[in-house]
Amino acid sequence: MYDVIIVGGGPAGAAAAIYAARKKMKTLVITENFGGQSVVSDSIENWIGDKKITGLELAKRLESHVKAQEGAEIKTPAKAMKVEKIESGFGANGASVPAWKVFTDQGDSYEALTLIVVSGGRRRRLSVPGEAKFEGKGISYCATCDAPIFKNKIVAIIGGGNAGLEAAIDLTRYAEKVYLVSNKPSLTGDPANLEVLMKSGKAEIINNANVSEILGDQFVSGIRYLDKSGDNAKELKVDGIFVEIGSIPNSEFIKDLVETDERNRIVVDHRTGATSRPGIFAAGDVTDALYNQNNISAGDAIKASLSAYYYLLNIKKQNK
Amino acid sequence: MPKITIYTTPSCVYCHMTREFLDEHNIAYEDKDVSADEAAREEMIKKSGQLGVPVSDIGGKIIVGFDKAAISKLLNIG
Repeated sequence: MYDVIIVGGGPAGAAAAIYAARKKMKTLVITENFGGQSVVSDSIENWIGDKKITGLELAKRLESHVKAQEGAEIKTPAKAMKVEKIESGFGANGASVPAWKVFTDQGDSYEALTLIVVSGGRRRRLSVPGEAKFEGKGISYCATCDAPIFKNKIVAIIGGGNAGLEAAIDLTRYAEKVYLVSNKPSLTGDPANLEVLMKSGKAEIINNANVSEILGDQFVSGIRYLDKSGDNAKELKVDGIFVEIGSIPNSEFIKDLVETDERNRIVVDHRTGATSRPGIFAAGDVTDALYNQNNISAGDAIKASLSAYYYLLNIKKQNK
Repeated sequence: MPKITIYTTPSCVYCHMTREFLDEHNIAYEDKDVSADEAAREEMIKKSGQLGVPVSDIGGKIIVGFDKAAISKLLNIG
């Protein structure tokens, strides 16, 4: 039985693991990979202590920092699929303290007295007909990767936040024409980004548009959308579609055990990282944290890790 | 060893991962930058039916994305 199982290998997972191991907790990290969502970033310029670092380099540093900890075991690549409540064998006066059994997609399972859920988020999909069929065939979720392939083509970026604007700016370097499609009455991204985009002379903004279908044969040939201002269906002829509509939390595997909000994010006490379930802590993008930032996720995970440590001390003290 | 061609762009992290993985195992490959080389771009799309990178051609077998398990299996490496 481990003292703590940490589910996730982003900045939060690494931070939780390093602090747990340094507190001499018997630690297991279960993660699909290291680095978190910003692993695809070409240039991270706000990771404190590094003026500029690629997502891949950050991922390597996080991984090597975790691997340098004695007493931290790593199970990767592995994905937590389910958690069950079990008896820990600890507890005074007939009261029993729960423990947690984590099942992975590798067919194995691991037990711990505490859990730190730092499984982050993943890209939100449009969930419209044609999206699955045309993934990699005109639909991309990585503008920095695939923008050059759409040289002299017509593309649509879906999403009017900063991620959408940045992808659109990226695409103006290659594409002939860039539509920025937002389902809101106006864009929500920074005006400075919008200014850069419009200066390219290649961009056209389409607001109030709900994308309803991806069209095409072998490759994408267009999108169908509902124009909410006129309430009529329209089509746009495009060769490529870049989806930038935010992220959703990876909370499915733990949802039955802890309280989540209307967006499926784990509700935590932001002072301690505690969830609604004693012994389970959480931090980072899988929680209802206000800001999704690498540095904040790391800090919040340290809170969760220290809280798990004191929870554990308390259990072990009661059993003496 | 089968002939290996990988189709990449400079700013794509999964392309870097593919390169690094092959390098780690001392496997020779040809790296075609589809952002600069239009012919390579067309070749990749024709071979794979994909408009996304990386694409790896390992002795005629096409692998989409950095699929470590699939590449390892084809090359018999761990």
